[in-house]
Amino acid sequence: MNTVLSRANSLFAFSLSVMAALTFGCFITTAFKDRRVPVDIHVSKVMLKNVDDFTGPRERSDLGFITFDLSADLQPIFDWNVKQLFLYLSAEYATKSNSLNQVVLWDKIVLRGENTKLNLRDMKSKYFFFDDGNGLRANKNITLTLSWNVVPNAGILPLVAGSGHVSLPFPDAYETTKSY
Amino acid sequence: MLTQDYKGQKLAEQIFQGIILISAVIGFVYGLIIEQFGWTVYIVLAGFAVSCVLTLPPWPMYRKNPLSWQPVIPESSGEPSQKPQESLKKKKHK
Repeated sequence: MNTVLSRANSLFAFSLSVMAALTFGCFITTAFKDRRVPVDIHVSKVMLKNVDDFTGPRERSDLGFITFDLSADLQPIFDWNVKQLFLYLSAEYATKSNSLNQVVLWDKIVLRGENTKLNLRDMKSKYFFFDDGNGLRANKNITLTLSWNVVPNAGILPLVAGSGHVSLPFPDAYETTKSY
Repeated sequence: MLTQDYKGQKLAEQIFQGIILISAVIGFVYGLIIEQFGWTVYIVLAGFAVSCVLTLPPWPMYRKNPLSWQPVIPESSGEPSQKPQESLKKKKHK
């Protein structure tokens, strides 16, 4: 501690250790919080097509189109340890060839400070709802769930499923493609 | 270069540890209340800056107990020790 440099070194190292302890404290205060919020999903339109699928092993696969409404209040999730939320809407169903399929249809990033009340109407899916085969036609039960990933300042990133989900059947027949 | 003495070093260490710990506690509580961890970091950084100003430069308050060195004893043989130094200086000079 005799020279300026050695004092500066000691001071800086001490500050960093204190900062690490504070960050741990921040993590501990929010580690066991329940991050579920009620979610309301409503589907207004469902359409099914059977199209050429160049990414899979077969010639044609089922392609679904869903138009949905989404409303949720995410304010209770944000606290001083949350940096952003990654929301995604996923569809889950079973077919004859696969017992569990999960497809992500839409996602959104909600940052701290942005509007936390979601009230989206007539949203189209962002990603293609391809099936691995032809299992969407006449499928009785397809469940849509909104889940989210909480990105914290310090600590674990939990994956939480919202507590509202909607199940819907898909139509029995394919739509013929109209060119206009 | 000015240096601090032992009592001054101890005082400087106590001062900066105290300032940073106090600012850490204040920052933690304030950040918890207003739900923004960013403010906690700002308050600790402010405490760090205050500690820098208070403890890094060798202020006079850290030099109040200087060491009392013994008086210099003049050496009895001063001449022989100078010649090897002169030859060394000639070798380095190019």
